[in-house]
Amino acid sequence: MAKSVLVDLTRCIGCRGCQVACKEWNERVARKTIFRGDYSNPVRLSSDCYTRIRFEEKEEASGPVWSFVKEQCLHCKNPACVSVCPVAALTKTENGPVVYNYDRCIGCRYCMVSCPFQIPTYEWDSARPWVQKCSFCSERIKDDLVPACIKVCPTTTMFYGEEGEVMLEARKRLQDNPDKYVPHIYGEKEAGGTAWVYISSVPFEDLNFRMDVPQVVLPDLTWAYISKVPALFGVVFVAGVTGWVITRRIDAASKEDQS
Amino acid sequence: MTNHWIDLRNSDVILIMGSNAAENHPISFRWVTEAQERGATLISVDPRFTRTSAKADLYAPLRSGSDIPFIGGMINYILQNDLFHREYVRLYTNGPFLINEEFKMPGDLDGIFSGYDSEKRKYDKKSWAFQTNGDGVALQDPAMTNPMCVLQQMKKHYARYDMETVSSITGTPRDLLEKVYSIYTATGKPDKVATIMYAMGWTQHTVGTQNVRAMAIVQLLLGNIGRAGGGVNALRGESNVQGSTDHCLLFHILPGYLRTPVASLPTLEEYNTQATPTTKEPLSANWWSNYPKYSVSMLKAFYGENATRDNDFGYSWLPKLDDGQNASWLMIFHEMMKDKFKGFFAWGQNPACSGSNAGKVRQALAKLDWMVNVNLFDNETGSFWRGPGVNPADVKTEVFFLPCCASMEKEGSITNSGRWAQWRYKAVEPAGESWPDSEIMNELYFRVRTLYEKDGGAFPDPIVNLSWEFGPKDSQGKVTAVDTHLIAKEINGYFLEDKEIKDTLYKKGSLVPSFAFLQDDGSTSSGNWLYCNSYTDKGNMMARRSTEDPSGIGLYPEWSWCWPVNRRIIYNRASVDEYGKPFDPKRAVIEWNGEKWVGDVPDGGWPPLLNPDGTPNPKSMKGFIMKPAGVAHLFGPGLADGPFPEHYEPLECPVQENPMNKSHRINPTAKLFFEEGGDGKSEDVFYTCDTRYPYVATTYRVTEHWQTGVMTRHLPWLLEMMPQLFVEMSIELAAEKAIKNGDKVRVSSGRGEVLAYASVTSRFKPFKIMNSTVHQVGLPWCFGWQYPEDGSGGDSANLLTPTIGDANTMIPETKAFMVNIEKV
Amino acid sequence: MKNNHEIKLMTPFTLFLLLVIGLGGVLAVYRLVNGLGASTNLNDDFPWGLWIGFDLLGGVAMAAGGFLIAGAVHLLNMKKYKPIVRPAVLTAFLGYLLAVVALILDLGQPHRIVYPAVMWQVHSIMWVVAMHVIFYTMTLGVESSPMLFEKLKWQKAVDFVNKIIVPVVLFGVMLSVLHQSSLGAVFLIVPGKLSPLWSTTFLPYLFLASSVMMGLSMVSIESIASARSFNHKMNYEILNGLVRGCIIALLVYLVLKLYFLVTGPGVGAAFAGTMEANMYLLEMVGGIILPLAILAGRNRKTEGINAMVTGHVLVIGGVLLNRLNVSISGMYGFQNATGTTYWPSTIEFVITLGLIALGIFLFKLWAKYLPLFPGTEVN
Ligand SMILES: Nc1nc2c(c(=O)[nH]1)N[C@H]1C(S)=C(S)[C@@H](COP(=O)(O)OP(=O)(O)OC[C@H]3O[C@@H](n4cnc5c(=O)[nH]c(N)nc54)[C@H](O)[C@@H]3O)O[C@H]1N2
Ligand SMILES: Nc1nc2c(c(=O)[nH]1)N[C@H]1C(S)=C(S)[C@@H](COP(=O)(O)OP(=O)(O)OC[C@H]3O[C@@H](n4cnc5c(=O)[nH]c(N)nc54)[C@H](O)[C@@H]3O)O[C@H]1N2
Ligand code: SF4
Ligand code: SF4
Ligand code: SF4
Ligand code: SF4
Ligand code: SF4
Ligand SMILES: [Mo]
Repeated sequence: MAKSVLVDLTRCIGCRGCQVACKEWNERVARKTIFRGDYSNPVRLSSDCYTRIRFEEKEEASGPVWSFVKEQCLHCKNPACVSVCPVAALTKTENGPVVYNYDRCIGCRYCMVSCPFQIPTYEWDSARPWVQKCSFCSERIKDDLVPACIKVCPTTTMFYGEEGEVMLEARKRLQDNPDKYVPHIYGEKEAGGTAWVYISSVPFEDLNFRMDVPQVVLPDLTWAYISKVPALFGVVFVAGVTGWVITRRIDAASKEDQS
Repeated sequence: MTNHWIDLRNSDVILIMGSNAAENHPISFRWVTEAQERGATLISVDPRFTRTSAKADLYAPLRSGSDIPFIGGMINYILQNDLFHREYVRLYTNGPFLINEEFKMPGDLDGIFSGYDSEKRKYDKKSWAFQTNGDGVALQDPAMTNPMCVLQQMKKHYARYDMETVSSITGTPRDLLEKVYSIYTATGKPDKVATIMYAMGWTQHTVGTQNVRAMAIVQLLLGNIGRAGGGVNALRGESNVQGSTDHCLLFHILPGYLRTPVASLPTLEEYNTQATPTTKEPLSANWWSNYPKYSVSMLKAFYGENATRDNDFGYSWLPKLDDGQNASWLMIFHEMMKDKFKGFFAWGQNPACSGSNAGKVRQALAKLDWMVNVNLFDNETGSFWRGPGVNPADVKTEVFFLPCCASMEKEGSITNSGRWAQWRYKAVEPAGESWPDSEIMNELYFRVRTLYEKDGGAFPDPIVNLSWEFGPKDSQGKVTAVDTHLIAKEINGYFLEDKEIKDTLYKKGSLVPSFAFLQDDGSTSSGNWLYCNSYTDKGNMMARRSTEDPSGIGLYPEWSWCWPVNRRIIYNRASVDEYGKPFDPKRAVIEWNGEKWVGDVPDGGWPPLLNPDGTPNPKSMKGFIMKPAGVAHLFGPGLADGPFPEHYEPLECPVQENPMNKSHRINPTAKLFFEEGGDGKSEDVFYTCDTRYPYVATTYRVTEHWQTGVMTRHLPWLLEMMPQLFVEMSIELAAEKAIKNGDKVRVSSGRGEVLAYASVTSRFKPFKIMNSTVHQVGLPWCFGWQYPEDGSGGDSANLLTPTIGDANTMIPETKAFMVNIEKV
Repeated sequence: MKNNHEIKLMTPFTLFLLLVIGLGGVLAVYRLVNGLGASTNLNDDFPWGLWIGFDLLGGVAMAAGGFLIAGAVHLLNMKKYKPIVRPAVLTAFLGYLLAVVALILDLGQPHRIVYPAVMWQVHSIMWVVAMHVIFYTMTLGVESSPMLFEKLKWQKAVDFVNKIIVPVVLFGVMLSVLHQSSLGAVFLIVPGKLSPLWSTTFLPYLFLASSVMMGLSMVSIESIASARSFNHKMNYEILNGLVRGCIIALLVYLVLKLYFLVTGPGVGAAFAGTMEANMYLLEMVGGIILPLAILAGRNRKTEGINAMVTGHVLVIGGVLLNRLNVSISGMYGFQNATGTTYWPSTIEFVITLGLIALGIFLFKLWAKYLPLFPGTEVN
């Protein structure tokens, strides 16, 4: 019953209704920005901006290609951020969202380091800062409401539903329009699979998607080590003890020779 | 819109030209996207690559101000390659009509049509008429081969707009032109349909009306009007601008597009006769023949009991224009500049930023004795006296600010682009001391009336005789609380006495079911005949919310209400053949089932033109019932600047002379505010093809802001996304001027200058115009000096725009003018 | 009361130390009051900086000497190293304390430092690390307690500790081995971000190996330094032994590094000329190959003290650089994709220096008042 979202970039008109709706629902303040030449603003997700539209402009032989890319937490199925949190302040809820509980957070920021998509952000300006990121509107989902950004989208860019049906829809769209979409569901394999997946008519690398994200369940990488910890403990213990016994024997032996 | 938003999904080819729907009508893309999913082709034609272009299957650039060549070329393409819907053109347009032999065209007269008077800059339209038989019926050639028939004349006129010529004027690469033409004109077949979504990119030109006319011609030739997924769709702007236009926002019309009386028509009789068209055409319903019923019913709504047959129903109380007087937007400030106004209500507007040549507007405001700003917020208009470069001490104008409620703080209707009047409930209590506009007007009316009653005055009658039955009244007869429903009902209209029509009795005081029942004898009232049927004894039609769609083509007949008489697609009688069978059964709008029309509300219930056996049906009527001849105008003698659209350059343009002719660079009938070669001191100065201002410029909107930004610059969330004024330019031009992305630049025109951030982008490209490179830049006009407080947003792009308007509507030419840019 | 008269406390150097400590202290308070944004150059793209990369990772690696020497003496019975057990353990102890202080300053919610002890999350390597720190600091406390007890003449306590010392040391060794490697494991989850020059599933063991040579070098430098400043005579037997150990560790580490370079990104990657590549080369050449050459090639007749010093210093620098590379430089390419950059703020630098100064000062204090060096024991 985990919720999932298909972001069909071919449908997005870059109106940024979602960006505002998110701010409104999550009561995030605006920050002072300047126009730097392209429409994307603010320049990056922040503790006051859980989602934003990235305007990607490319020049092709056929003319300009202008794409609008929605950024937010992808709510990985096996989230690195959750696995690394030493105090379980981040958790993956069974209905999809990866949520944050500031009652536990110690502020080590390992979650930020570990996220392959650079999603969690920090309240740097605060003396008692918290981690901030898209919550998949988990409170709304609990009440059977559609997440705010999805609700306001005029073009239904985001197909929202149960994990299974969303993946089916994604595959269906790729199959039905092979010459429209690039054959890649971003998030199907990335980071071992994410709850928010993307399809696009422009190759994802041209849209500055992270192509270096490992296609494995990231927490497994650490677990491979952690699971060995007890064994390692044992090895060192045995080695230590035997070392002690042997060296003592030798020592005793040498004493006898002298006498 | 002839059609409506949802109907966009029915289209096969959608041309978005002269508008940027994705950014300015985001919700339209719900339906555009649906159409595309269905396999429709989206074409975007715009000087720059927009968020709309980004979604289009085909994008073609063109230089601002060159749409008539572009569309003229398409007309030529259709006629040369015989791609038009012959049956449609023969049945429903004046294509077969024979024009007078004296009629001459720009091809023959070097840029003008016959009858031009260069003194008055006006046409004598005598020669723009049809050949008629003895009893005044226009002669026709159903084969449309007669050289004088409209179709042939049109073919001759547009033969001059061949690909080469067009491409050299518009700067659109030939191959792209050809692509657009072939894709769009492929919909001339009965089972294919295309639509046009346009807005200010077309209208804000000295040839604005003709831009739209040109496209209407294309749609008629291809048989796309009246059809589901077709039509000519103006994407209206302010949420209720359609409603306010219907209710006479503009100076030359009264509610329901009745004409504003002029001084030379002193009596109602003369007024009605002059306004009521007559026709000899046998099959023409000539709906406007009902004009007197509508004008009289309107007067009864205005003046109630006081309007009697003996006093011409109060006709003499209506304000009159001097003959030929132009009282449009530009004129208001032009006259204000000359001290012709004492006071001014800036009611729900911000001319100090929205008015073309805003610098002039700001000066003009200082000539007033008083100004009242009725608005949600103070704005650059209300605070003009402390604006940049203004010394408050030098301003004598006394400014009053009346805070008023926002739309969600009051009840009422708004009419959207699709002509749907939708009722809205009050969502929240008004903030602070703000009042609904209606209450402000009520107070104003009562005070003014009391003064007139007390002190008399020059002409009290129009005020003291007004009927003002909008709610319970106190002892002095003042309405204590305005009831919007009563206003809506008065707009619909009442029976003022018991009336028997088609042997049913309508009781005095009951609401008129539809305008077919309105009378010219004073027995009915109707504030706006077009809205008669919107609020009947069945209830408030505008508040309906049924999501039933029996049509299957998205008409949703019981969701809100739509004028006229809930007809969702107008001219729908043109969507069927002579037998009443839909041209395209898959997307039938209406169909004749043997005894009546089924589907949408038809343009009149008359039977089809032919009986099943193929014999003509004398009881039938032609579909375009608002036209005297019952057919649509391919040849349109109604307009000021010619029966066929002809290319004229904008007031300020990059070329020495009009590529289409030697003698008439700009629209010969456009009103000039400043004679070329003048001293250049006038605030109306312009510089065309002048090295000081070498770049074509245009102005436009962004999704993130609303209009002059008064409602959005206060919203930090929106400001965060679009913080400052910017100017978009091509990489090539930026390189020439050593400007980098994000640099601060000065943009200047003959009238003023603004500072903006440079957006250097591949979305603007240099144009090849008449074998020379022409650069274009563009800026949004949503900023103003007052907010954000620190002035970081920049000022209005209208400090640059010229004082000139369209020859027919006087809408300012804010889409094409010349500027210079330099790095600061 | 008897104390170590050769050690003069109030030298100009000490005053300088105190100055730096004072400065660091003040800024530490500033950081706690005004938050991370105000005091560091950390940002959403670079959530970790100098304090984690240098103070924590580096500090802990430096402390490796503690478990190595203690282990050698108490478990493997290498008596000859007995004289340096105490300084080694003390350095480890101080190293850890300082690492913890740095961590506290780096945490967004410093007062919650103890939460992990209560809120377990066994999947988090960070949690594992936290647990180690807690236990190992205790262990080190026990290991260094005799010095205090002796000073206080609590003979019973001394005897007791001496009785349990072997198991305690064993426990310490176990913890350390895991801990040193766990810090490497912290970066197992970012293969996409961390340049392949460093990123490998074997990272924990590389951290362990490098901590060994680092630890030995630290101890060596220490004994040389204290021998000089507290003027006792050098014990070349010990120093040469340490060098030998160091060389072996270096060799092992070098082989491993090369193996993972070749099997990983390939030798070419190291010469790509990118910032990462250059950092990697610096680390390899300056931190491993060069010191290896110097230490191995030193002239035994002249006892080559200077060669030793240079060699060990290079090793220490090399490993510190490695930690910074893994935690910052190695991820630079990925993290500044959005254009953001990171260079530590002055405050970050000064506080780091303050912590180092504090370490040296405490060591000196300890050396003066507590029986740290052979001959200063009170029996
Ligand atoms: N977000 C938002 N939506 C709005 C508004 C708003 O302010 N903000 N305003 C509302 C109002 S009142 C209106 S009237 C509508 C206006 O809706 P639009 O007409 O879509 O608005 P504009 O952006 O002024 O102009 C549209 C396009 O015309 C292009 N253009 C400029 N010159 C020419 C030309 O010569 N030929 C052609 N073919 N195109 C040209 C511009 O590049 C621009 O992309 O929008 C309404 N919707
Ligand atoms: N350069 C350039 N200039 C242009 C255009 C362009 O494309 N380019 N477009 C033109 C067009 S299409 C238009 S429509 C005009 C618009 O020109 P304006 O109408 O003058 O500009 P707006 O900013 O829409 O002003 C509307 C005002 O009404 C206020 N308001 C909102 N709701 C209410 C209400 O319920 N009651 C009252 N009393 N006030 C309310 C708002 O705060 C705002 O100040 O601008 C024109 N000017
Ligand atoms: S995207 Fe990053 S923050 Fe979001 S769930 Fe995955 S790892 Fe966690
Ligand atoms: S910063 Fe908070 S949420 Fe993130 S890992 Fe550390 S404790 Fe967990
Ligand atoms: S899901 Fe909710 S929190 Fe996440 S981006 Fe959308 S609106 Fe914002
Ligand atoms: S609301 Fe929908 S269309 Fe608009 S920017 Fe967001 S995703 Fe794109
Ligand atoms: S009015 Fe609002 S809802 Fe309608 S299209 Fe514009 S932004 Fe969307
Ligand atoms: Mo408008």
